Amino acid sequence: MNPPISLAGVAPIDCRTAVARLWDFLDEELDAIRLAEVEAHVALCARCAEHYRFARAFLDAVSESWQEIPDTTQLRERVVETLTRQGFRDGR
Amino acid sequence: MTMSPVERDSEFDRDALSCLPEVARFARSLTRNAVDADDLVQETYLRAYKGYATFQRGASMRRWLFSICHHAWMRHLEVRKRVLLEADTADATAETLSAVMGHAAAQRAGLDRFITDLGLGPAIKSAIEELDPAFRSIVMLVDVEGMAYAEAAAVTGVPVGTVRSRLFRARRLLQERLFAHARDAGIVPADSPTSHSTDR
Repeated sequence: MNPPISLAGVAPIDCRTAVARLWDFLDEELDAIRLAEVEAHVALCARCAEHYRFARAFLDAVSESWQEIPDTTQLRERVVETLTRQGFRDGR
Repeated sequence: MTMSPVERDSEFDRDALSCLPEVARFARSLTRNAVDADDLVQETYLRAYKGYATFQRGASMRRWLFSICHHAWMRHLEVRKRVLLEADTADATAETLSAVMGHAAAQRAGLDRFITDLGLGPAIKSAIEELDPAFRSIVMLVDVEGMAYAEAAAVTGVPVGTVRSRLFRARRLLQERLFAHARDAGIVPADSPTSHSTDR
């Protein structure tokens, strides 16, 4: 682990703190102060930057794996049929 | 202002039925088979239509439908007694650190680069399907549907902290399974250090 890295105006954090915030950072769930602390650390720490790069690629791959939208043409007809029995009027 | 039935149905058609493809994808990820997924979608829309008066104008229609879908599926699981509460014991920080150590080990084994391989999609999809339901739904909501933790919490009816811990454990498990997949596929030798335990 590297010692805490400091940039002007941002409190230094060590590598353990930086990687512990990894998922929260990538999910944009950190507050502005913690986010700035991570950005400052990762900008200067190659090892942590590599963990962040990998995690970003991993999340992109997870997201991509399910991007295909199923064809729901027939399913829509079944759903509308079911709803029609409840009084629904299909506008199409 | 009260809507006429025609106006209500027209709005339901425009706002709710237009979300059907995404609801169907979410249902498919929960049930892991097309027949059950279609039944779940039908049940979701039936409940949504019957309860449409309770939908708050201005709220996210997609989130509301996902919530109905998820609750309906969880009721099915409760009936089948397949809900695993073990998921709630996950420690979010420990899971994150564990995933990072897993990556460090994978780097040493030279298999971290395979994660961006174009052919990895089916393996990831399969690994997600193998996750326990409580983990799988959170991964789909956050990582595929792009919801914030609070949105996923609203859909699943669990606290934000639980969403976070389940999500982080699920990601760590997915990462481990993908590294194992790489090893089994011969991308790296079987004796390569693919487990984070070697890093402790």
